[in-house]
Amino acid sequence: MPAWPTNPRYISQSTPRVDGPEKVSGRARYSSDIQAPGLLYGMILRSPWPAAKIAEVDLRPALKIPGIKAAITVRDTPFTTRYYGEEIAAVAGVSKQACLDALRAISIKAEPASAFVVKEQDGLDADSPQVWQGAANASAPRTRENGNVDEAFGQCSAVIEGFYTTPVQIHNPMETHGNTVSWTDDGITAWSSTQGISSVRDGLAGSLKLDQSKVRVITDFMGGGFGAKFGAGVEGVLAARLSKEAGAPVRLMLTRFDQALAVGNRPSSFQKIKMGALADGTLHAFEMENYGTAGIGAGGDAGGGGGGANIPAPYLYKVDNARVTQRSVAVNAGSARAFRAPGNPPASFGMESAMDDLAVKLGMDPLDFRLKNDPSPIRRKELRLGADKIGWKQKYRPPGTCPGIVKTGLGCAGAAWPAGGGSPFTQGEAQINPDGSIELRLGVQDIGTGTKTVIAVVAAEILGLTPEQITVRVGDTHYPAGPGSGGSTTCASVSPTVNDVCNQALDQLQKLSGMADARGQNWFEACKKLGISPLTVHGRWQKGLSSSHACGVQFAEVAVDTETGLVTVQKVVAVHDCGLIIDQLTLASQINGGVIMGMGYALYEERVMDDLSGVMLNPNFETYKLPGIADVPEIEVVLVNMPERGVIGIGEPSTVPTAGAIANAVANAIGVRVSSLPITPAKVLAALGKVPPFIKS
Amino acid sequence: MKAFEYATALSPSSARDLIADNGAYIAGGNDLLGRLKEYLDAPARLVNIKAIPGLDTIQYGDDCWTIGSLVTIATLEKDEKIRSALPGLHQAAAEIASPQIRNVATVGGNLAQHSRCWYYRQRDVQCLKKNGDLCYARNSDNRYHSLFSGNDCISPVVSSLGATFAALDATAVVLSGGQELRWSMAEFYADAWKMHLAHNSLKPGDLILRVEIPLSRPRSAYLQASDKHVFDWALVSCAAAADYVDGKLVSPRVALGSISPVPHQMDKANQFLEGKPLDSTTVAHAADLLLANARPLEHNAYKVPMAHALICRTLLKLKG
Repeated sequence: MPAWPTNPRYISQSTPRVDGPEKVSGRARYSSDIQAPGLLYGMILRSPWPAAKIAEVDLRPALKIPGIKAAITVRDTPFTTRYYGEEIAAVAGVSKQACLDALRAISIKAEPASAFVVKEQDGLDADSPQVWQGAANASAPRTRENGNVDEAFGQCSAVIEGFYTTPVQIHNPMETHGNTVSWTDDGITAWSSTQGISSVRDGLAGSLKLDQSKVRVITDFMGGGFGAKFGAGVEGVLAARLSKEAGAPVRLMLTRFDQALAVGNRPSSFQKIKMGALADGTLHAFEMENYGTAGIGAGGDAGGGGGGANIPAPYLYKVDNARVTQRSVAVNAGSARAFRAPGNPPASFGMESAMDDLAVKLGMDPLDFRLKNDPSPIRRKELRLGADKIGWKQKYRPPGTCPGIVKTGLGCAGAAWPAGGGSPFTQGEAQINPDGSIELRLGVQDIGTGTKTVIAVVAAEILGLTPEQITVRVGDTHYPAGPGSGGSTTCASVSPTVNDVCNQALDQLQKLSGMADARGQNWFEACKKLGISPLTVHGRWQKGLSSSHACGVQFAEVAVDTETGLVTVQKVVAVHDCGLIIDQLTLASQINGGVIMGMGYALYEERVMDDLSGVMLNPNFETYKLPGIADVPEIEVVLVNMPERGVIGIGEPSTVPTAGAIANAVANAIGVRVSSLPITPAKVLAALGKVPPFIKS
Repeated sequence: MKAFEYATALSPSSARDLIADNGAYIAGGNDLLGRLKEYLDAPARLVNIKAIPGLDTIQYGDDCWTIGSLVTIATLEKDEKIRSALPGLHQAAAEIASPQIRNVATVGGNLAQHSRCWYYRQRDVQCLKKNGDLCYARNSDNRYHSLFSGNDCISPVVSSLGATFAALDATAVVLSGGQELRWSMAEFYADAWKMHLAHNSLKPGDLILRVEIPLSRPRSAYLQASDKHVFDWALVSCAAAADYVDGKLVSPRVALGSISPVPHQMDKANQFLEGKPLDSTTVAHAADLLLANARPLEHNAYKVPMAHALICRTLLKLKG
């Protein structure tokens, strides 16, 4: 059984990103930076209607615009569009302005639907206009139960009921979706902003009827995906088709407007929770009815509602008697897609809010209540650690008892992430040159999380070199295949693979050079003995060096202005474990990002659909609000290193508990619960009973 | 955006000549370029007014300071004399957008900017303000909209300088048809109160030359409440100015932004405050007077207590 080195020099230490200088100097080339001879711009025409039958699309006026080289429809007419922003056609031209003019020139003969539904509550109505013809918008409720819930509630000494809701959260990675694609007689080369170079290659090959061997996908640098960038996407296939049609490379990057509408989102949740505990604080009964929307959803033509809006429940805690009923509601809006820890942030928010509400009713300290009911020894340890760091014992006071107009409060919440393990299919290779230089090649991608640095750290550790001595190459389907970067899988996939590649390479180098130990200071002498032929070694992922199931807890300290409703997060303590830490710096960076994203979810972000017009009202950063630097609190990252568990991914669990912790801190500060995310000033003032009732005139 | 001609004016009168029937002035361009890109406006010609001499200076007279319409928000924010003599104006400038935008955005542009209503700015919605039939906000999501309006459109004025200048009783000098018109802030926005298509009272070709601020109110303050801490529109903004002599207010003025198509002022409130001391009962009563006739809609009633709190706080800041 392979094992990680004990007393490592680089593993579990702090190594700066190996590609940091390229990124901060602007030398790093992203998909939208690729320059190719004859490059054209591509753009997409989107449906201005929430639902319509598209009868005819006349592209001829677009082709008459000077500089336009290609215009295509997404599919053959007639077809149906089901949400505002769905793709209809695309053009390629020599300038962005030519493309914009061409999109406006395209004439569409359409029959907009007279009725549509964009809100979850409306979609629940059996008579609501069907998103998918012949199928009810709300899926049939699915219920599971363990124990005897009805009886159990009778045994409880405290019971709470709450309605906890979370909005649709839009994917807004720093780099929008998009590709630069060149389709020639030799095949396709796509520079893609993707989390999965292999899945994009296979997707393009499948959609465009090409051999997979004729499609190459390159992702040198990538500005974030968070679950929304696995496939080629409609925009990727369109870029390729435009390239073929125009006979030139096409760069088609989505705008923020496009991004807000059509590349996926986190489903909403409307969680009606009833929960009870015994007199000693033991959770005893739990009941939840939840619905949410995945937009037009995963229903497809076959069935309405679709899946995708379910959340894990009861989350984290052990409840012997539980009944959970869930359903998804289809609406005329962009569909859901995986979003950093799918299902978990809304689950954590709902459950952790209910936990605090029940602790208050029981008269228990919420921290003690969690310690009593959390079955995970790791999380219990983390709760104690985090409580110490935030000063829970000194600072915690009963809800609403902070004096003054600006009230402070404390809250905490936990995370569980079942994935995070490695992909057994990961492969890699090393080429060791006679001059002692070494190149590691893996067909994975660094989506901004530090994968290249992880590879350099592990290789340096095994070979007795420094991380700077390792040349890391990823993001090319010509390299040995690796998994997509989803499920927090990449670190646990590449680390054991690089370990295997490097150990094998070392073995072979030692044999070839006749040196007993080729590591460290012997390295160059050993390599020299290779003569003129580099040594290339292939390796693969191995068992025993990684595992899954990270935990994590976060504590938040907030200040709430009870007159303006403004919530200021003053501090977040984020305690996380991910087995064996590879690099503390990139790990802390992941957690910082997770906290900031979770904070946006807690306080600012919300897709606003308009039921009168059927459009999205905030497809921009003006009213789809994201945290800015002045909103971000001090974040104290506390790492729990557990080498005995092997490597586990952290990308997703780090964003799970933030919203729950902040929401609990707000409730603790003001003494009433804002049970709906985002916690805006308007909702804070309403919860405090300060908003006059609306009287319809 | 649609193709346009571009010309640079070297004097106010050449600006007026160059703009012709279907042109638009461009200075910082923050609002205009967004409107062009969204096809909200399609002028045949942009007339660059940044080269007109004299409009980018602040003049510190004895009784009155004059701020040229091309003075940037960043200049306003950083001007030490303004910071001490007109602290409310400094505070308002410092809250506007982001440092990058403040570096190029101008006083004239801030006053003249158009509605930010999310229906008006939505490219595929033809609302009342775009000559459509319906004010969508009135009937649907009006969380960011007005508590007061004199017409069917309920998009609020978002210029925080508008409210601040109103509190300071400033005058905008506008070149209109060869004449210099002198408008109070109430007059500058009067058309937006009455007419759903108007964002302010400027007619095509009208050019803001400067704003004149009397120095009779040495105390001033500005506060806004937003969803976020910086770089966010005000949900409500409030400016107040007065003199404070022997513990009593002299010539007090309060104005609010983002709750009405015009800077919201009530003579009754100003009159009530005259000669009063700054205490919590007084300011609360002034706030009541200012908000007495508010007509909250389904989603914006939170602005009432928020505005109330801001009025009280802003007035109390005048104590220094």
